[in-house]
Amino acid sequence: MFKVTNATGGYGKTTIIRDVSLEVKAGEIVALLGRNGVGKSTLMRYATGLIRATSGYVEIDGEMAPPSPAKRARLGLGYVPQGRFVFPRMSVTENIAVAAASNGFDAKKTVEEMLEDFPLLRPKAADLAGGLSGGQQQVLALARALAIRPKILLLDEPTEGVQPSIIDEMAGVLKRINADREIAMLVAEQNLDFCLSISERAYVMEKGAIHMETDRDSLRADKELQQELLGV
Amino acid sequence: MELDFLATVLLSSLSSASILLIATLGLAVVYGLMGVINLAHGEFLMVGAYSALTATQIGLPYPLAIPFAVAMTMLIGATVELLIIRKLYGRIFDTMLATWGLGMVFNQAAVLIFGTVSPGIGMPQWNFQIGDYSLAFYPIAMIFVAAVMLAFVYFLMTHTVYGMKARASIQEPQMAQAIGIDSSRVNTMTFAIGCGLAGFAGAILLPIIPATPSMGLFFAVKGFLTVVVAGPVALTGSAITALGLGGGASVTASFMTSVVGDVFFFLMTALLLWLYPLGISANWRRKL
Amino acid sequence: MFEKLHSNAGLIFPLIVAGAALAFSGALDPYLAFVATSWVIFGLLGLSLDVIWGRGGFLSLAQTAFYGLGGYLGAVIAINFAPSLGLSLLWALPSAAVFGALIAAALGYLIFFSRMGELQSTILSYTFTLLLWSVTQTFKIDIGAAVIGGDNGLSNIPGIILGVGEEAKKLKPNAAFACVVFISAVVYFFTRWLMRSNFGKIVDCIRIDIEKTELLGYDIRKFQVLNFAYSGAVAGLAGALFALWANYLNPSIFSVQEALLVPIYVLVGGLGTLAGPFLGALIIGALSFWLGGGAAGGQTTLILGAVLILLVMFLHNGFLGALDNLWKRYLPDPNDAARDAGAVKIDTEVLDQILSEAAEQAGPAKNLSTDEAFKSFGGVIPVNKVSREFKPGKPYSLIGPNGAGKSSFLKTCVGIYRPEGGTILLDNDDITRAQIFDRVHKGMGVKNQKPQVFGENTVFENLWIAAFARTKDRAAADETATRILNMLGMEAQKAVQASALSHGQQQWLDIGMVLCLAPRVVLLDEPAAGMTNEETRELSLLVRTLAKHTTVVVVEHDMEFVRTLEGHVTVLHQGNLFAEGDIDTLRANDAVLDIYLGRGEHV
Repeated sequence: MFKVTNATGGYGKTTIIRDVSLEVKAGEIVALLGRNGVGKSTLMRYATGLIRATSGYVEIDGEMAPPSPAKRARLGLGYVPQGRFVFPRMSVTENIAVAAASNGFDAKKTVEEMLEDFPLLRPKAADLAGGLSGGQQQVLALARALAIRPKILLLDEPTEGVQPSIIDEMAGVLKRINADREIAMLVAEQNLDFCLSISERAYVMEKGAIHMETDRDSLRADKELQQELLGV
Repeated sequence: MELDFLATVLLSSLSSASILLIATLGLAVVYGLMGVINLAHGEFLMVGAYSALTATQIGLPYPLAIPFAVAMTMLIGATVELLIIRKLYGRIFDTMLATWGLGMVFNQAAVLIFGTVSPGIGMPQWNFQIGDYSLAFYPIAMIFVAAVMLAFVYFLMTHTVYGMKARASIQEPQMAQAIGIDSSRVNTMTFAIGCGLAGFAGAILLPIIPATPSMGLFFAVKGFLTVVVAGPVALTGSAITALGLGGGASVTASFMTSVVGDVFFFLMTALLLWLYPLGISANWRRKL
Repeated sequence: MFEKLHSNAGLIFPLIVAGAALAFSGALDPYLAFVATSWVIFGLLGLSLDVIWGRGGFLSLAQTAFYGLGGYLGAVIAINFAPSLGLSLLWALPSAAVFGALIAAALGYLIFFSRMGELQSTILSYTFTLLLWSVTQTFKIDIGAAVIGGDNGLSNIPGIILGVGEEAKKLKPNAAFACVVFISAVVYFFTRWLMRSNFGKIVDCIRIDIEKTELLGYDIRKFQVLNFAYSGAVAGLAGALFALWANYLNPSIFSVQEALLVPIYVLVGGLGTLAGPFLGALIIGALSFWLGGGAAGGQTTLILGAVLILLVMFLHNGFLGALDNLWKRYLPDPNDAARDAGAVKIDTEVLDQILSEAAEQAGPAKNLSTDEAFKSFGGVIPVNKVSREFKPGKPYSLIGPNGAGKSSFLKTCVGIYRPEGGTILLDNDDITRAQIFDRVHKGMGVKNQKPQVFGENTVFENLWIAAFARTKDRAAADETATRILNMLGMEAQKAVQASALSHGQQQWLDIGMVLCLAPRVVLLDEPAAGMTNEETRELSLLVRTLAKHTTVVVVEHDMEFVRTLEGHVTVLHQGNLFAEGDIDTLRANDAVLDIYLGRGEHV
């Protein structure tokens, strides 16, 4: 479904991720764990095509991904970046509409669908996205990514700066989307419990490389690994 | 002071402010939606004027010469974007220097092709009376043209898919790509539209401002100042700035000399930039 | 041998060229000498732009304005005095230089003290030139014997006269050429000296990283205005020379065509090289001479416009820049030493000694406190009425989930963000509205999240410029920088460019620069980011030692690191103070675990 093979890349002259390979199967939610600065976000950006690839390649739905991020999006790659990056001077509606329209979907219908799915956004529909709170922006970034009807969704720290109550809700929403729309997901997180609650399988990164692959139960049992991951 | 005199001054000042806005809108679009300052903007205006002039000379009626001028400038604009601007993304000052050089090339090319003096287009002069004063109709009509043009651009940028894409591309360029927007195509379009607006301005203003190779410079100074004073919320900001500064300078000029009006304009912008070093709209929460 | 020649190339080659020009000036064809004089003058004008753009980082399009104004004023004075007293140079040049400097200073004050955006600054400078162009078209005034006649221009300007009295004759073209070459050489060598002086070093730093320069405590606005004034003086001087050379001025000196040429000279020759603009003016001048002489008729502007476009797109380093890159390939790379850099080891004794001496020089540690500090961005409130006091003794750690407002709180204290409410005190000094450099003067030392070093400068220069900000004395700065360099164990990397260092080494260098300031309050934003475990341990040691002498606040989310600091811990959450205590108390606090570690029950 979604495969990254031998990914090596970084910013400018610095290489941050080296020879990373991972796979997400259809309908699966996979977690990408690791402390700050191990290269999770860089890997995400590599997958979207937003940073220069030194070597390696990405496959989306069985097809080799072209270098252009826009073309990857049209192949069905959705991306919720760390820090949300909603379009601040566009309304909530426009944020969703532009994503749908850019991929040839009916903007109006998609907006209505998303407001249905995320009732939290409805009262804010006409507001500028830049004025929303962090949690609301996070939900909007998710709705925007879903508006392109992705087959695989990359989520980079979706719980960052989000209140606990919304985190719970978000976990529920992601599970529901995963089940209803059969969207596979790769979630980079530092919030271990959030990951344990939604994903079956996890990759653990360290120093720009995949350190190990594990499943939910062994992760739960392995206190030492948990502590190492959280740095507590 | 009589009421009819005041009304005359007010109307003609509003008219000069509108003319400034007409000449500036394209610049504001390119700056606001691409983050690029096109120093050749004035020359695109000149190209528009000459295109319209040439079209009328070969027998096209003036109303049809205007769309011809727009098409010409959009075509040239798109070419320039593909050949030059695109290579200089993210290097705003290099873009400025390159478009500056481009402006000179256009200017000199116009001198070579058309000479320095051009015939005006023979348009009947309509006048109307306010009290004791007689006003030319066409410049006053520019108030209406400016309003329509502003509304059109605003609608284009806020209510069309292209407009949404263009705004998304400037606000979060990487995310715009990540949701499937082909930013480079959008930018070519935006630059072409900006140049087309300049061409429209040159053509529509032809009856009052005859085509000369250096006509662009006349607008350039005020246009650039208007746009940088306006800041990131380019359309609304430019409209307000053009109205305030252009109108103010025109009022000053009608009581004193036009040079004093220019000096007033410059000093006011310097003062505004002192107060708002990143433009008056730096903290506004508006779409455009 | 070749390395020495390379580092002194800006001295030796111009000396040779200037010497040759003087030696052969007599042998030139008089008409060529006459035309070539203008090329040298244009080179001087280009130099004025290189000073403010290539070195200062501000693309000023107002250089021809200072040039023209200097020319007009110099000419007016020369017209009035030279016919009876001779010595036209003496009358025209100093007055023009001063006038150019004053105008540039006034414009620069407006631009730099308001902290105008880059784009706004450039456009304002451009329109200033165009405004002069339009104003001078109709500007008519008689000043003594000088008649400024709007677009009729100003004529009867005397030539270059070196003799005294009524009888003194103007120089012949060949002698005038030699005279202008001599003056330009003097200006060039003075400029070169100035740009290598302390002043020039600071100007370079402003170009490379303006925020960091201010964080070292330099009042960047003053340096920018002074540099601009100097560039205005050079331009004004060039203008006066031009007036004496041409014997006639008109408003076209302020025209766009004229202004366009200046960045072309600089770009052709090489931006920031100082000598480049002369070479550029020579190349362009010779080219126009040849084109204007028949090859292309009146299409010179057309060609120059196209040349500018091509230069910007394809040859950004210019001629000298390209030559320099080529030469460097055959020289040993000083950055090689970066590769064999060892791990940093902190010697607490040395550090203790450095810090107690710093305390003697800079006074005792200061408390930092905030009272209801408030900052919002739209709907997001990263700092929500935070009141907290920080004292010396033990390090303070600010922790909290991403987006809790830690960095924003720190930026508010530093002055990068202006708080919308509340006060910030340094001891009893209210610094809520103080400029950043002012806070640094008062003892604040700041290290931002990303390492901020001056990449083009060497490791030692980086430390030195920081030390000089405090000591204002070369020798003392040398000593401080050397000590910190030794403490960091980077002696071998002394001459390495900071940009060639690894991320972790850059972090250390940045921390070293902060130490050079002998700060009384130290604010560190995620200093351990990008460091190896070993480096993190050393950093912890450094922070603990530092805290004995000064107040230290660290923003960090590496919990392991925070624990080793053994200090106070403050938890921020959604812009608010959430909890406080030592790390063990907080770890027992369920609420903290909930927000920070995410112990919530999920679906």
